[in-house]
Amino acid sequence: METILETHNLEKRYNDFRVLNDVNIHIEKGSIYGLIGKNGAGKTTIIRIICGLQEPTCGTYTIYGEFNSSSNISNIRKRIGAIIETPSIYGEMSAKDNLIEQYKLVGMPSLDGIDELLKLVGLENVGKKKAKHFSLGMKQRLGIAISLVNNPDFLILDEPINGLDPQGIIEIRELILKLNKERRITILISSHYLDELSKIATHYGFLDNGSIINEISSGELMKKMEHKIELTVNNTKEFVKYFEENNIEYEVINNKIINIYGSHNLSKLIRQLSNKNLIAEDIHEYEETLENYYMNLIGGVKHD
Amino acid sequence: MIKLLNAGFTRLRKNKAFWIWTIFSICLASCMTLINYSDMKKFGDVIEIGQLMLNYPTMIGIIIAIFTSLFLGVEYSDGAIRNKIIIGHKRINIYLSNFIIITATSLFQYIIYLIIILSLGAPLFGMGTLPIQTLIVKVLLMCAVIITYSSICTFIAIECSNKTLTAVINIMSIFTLLMVATYCYSRLGTPPYIEVAKINDKNSGNYEITQEPNPKYPTEEEKKVYQTLLNVNPAGQTFQVGEKNDGLEILPVYSLGIIIVSTTLGLVLFEQKNLK
Repeated sequence: METILETHNLEKRYNDFRVLNDVNIHIEKGSIYGLIGKNGAGKTTIIRIICGLQEPTCGTYTIYGEFNSSSNISNIRKRIGAIIETPSIYGEMSAKDNLIEQYKLVGMPSLDGIDELLKLVGLENVGKKKAKHFSLGMKQRLGIAISLVNNPDFLILDEPINGLDPQGIIEIRELILKLNKERRITILISSHYLDELSKIATHYGFLDNGSIINEISSGELMKKMEHKIELTVNNTKEFVKYFEENNIEYEVINNKIINIYGSHNLSKLIRQLSNKNLIAEDIHEYEETLENYYMNLIGGVKHD
Repeated sequence: MIKLLNAGFTRLRKNKAFWIWTIFSICLASCMTLINYSDMKKFGDVIEIGQLMLNYPTMIGIIIAIFTSLFLGVEYSDGAIRNKIIIGHKRINIYLSNFIIITATSLFQYIIYLIIILSLGAPLFGMGTLPIQTLIVKVLLMCAVIITYSSICTFIAIECSNKTLTAVINIMSIFTLLMVATYCYSRLGTPPYIEVAKINDKNSGNYEITQEPNPKYPTEEEKKVYQTLLNVNPAGQTFQVGEKNDGLEILPVYSLGIIIVSTTLGLVLFEQKNLK
């Protein structure tokens, strides 16, 4: 699998304040990489460095295999589209004029495709309305349209759903999935809306205090977050025999602990087991969410 | 660079501030011509069209400061500079393209002003006594001053990421240059002697006027300092180009120096700037 972006021990300091510390992330082609971290964790700083707005104090990164110190990095960046915090939009211009401006900046030979882009982001009917009068969601969608002008194959979105209403969040989510599936665009998306990210990301990077504390694929994460019932038992073999006979997915953790996976009704399961004289010493039911997983990672406490 | 200029001029054409400035330049030139024509008719004033042509650059610095703050301030507030870097434009090209656009706009406004003055004023006042070659040289010197103002204002606008702060610093800087120039020019114009009235007889009120050395008259060293300050300062240059015919050949050298220093410094600082 081709690596689009790789950072190597990235560090950023502002005077004596260290914002990033040994950040190593890997983004593979075709993935939607969710960069997760609380406010001030360093998400935007990583993105600013990748986009060339700031230089790292230490460490390096490669985009499409090209190092940041390479003289060719500006050309490589032409394959990137990005929205950092707020979309780059001229408020005094209409959506179409903003796209024309971007076409000129990118150096497109003609203005063909503007209407398609507006349609793609659902702004085909806004006419000459100035962008400063758009809703936040419309601005975000226009920002995405602008960042798509150069036909990027790597899109970076920093907190794209911040401040959006539920409808706006759904629109942006669907647009991101569409771009990833239909246009095969690799996407780096940072957010602290974990539930929303869990609906689209294929890979995650968990950031805390300027360091990546875990990088994991959604498959691996789903397995870790699966609903499970943990049984503490004395007679492991008899339990295993019962699970085998009844096609129940299980995992023997050690001589005393067995995990059962799948959507089982706990009270029903206990009843079935006791009918077979299988009595567990202790039973725990776990329902992990991305939020819980993240809070466990950073050693925090989740308050419901 | 061509892409940046193309996009920049496209935005300029749709920019309200640009069109307001253009209308202002046209109105200013028309009003100045008509007011001077009225004075000529009423009081018999002799109107030198060359002088009218050289008036605008004295105040154009303030307008360049305002326009640059509005036009380039948006580059930061709307995230345009960030966008340009993300899509692969080099910082040096972004800086220079902005400088070129501001310079071209400022010169365009001066040209508009000149065209109106010439087309309205020439039939009314004639071409005046100033030799045409001298007039052309003076207009070119004023153009150099306009480029200098543009380079200073671009430098401030690019280095300062805040639109409001850019406007304040730009306008204050141009005002400071104007005040310094006014002070230096007046000091250099101080007469060496002043007339002092001495009363000979208090009862009859009989007095005698004598000429005495002016205590405020600058020394030769002070004169050199004031003259240098006037030469370096673009506002001071406009005063000199408007009033003097000799010793102007040094002025473009100072203009070029300021343009090179401000642009080089601006490029170095912008290259190192952490952008948000």
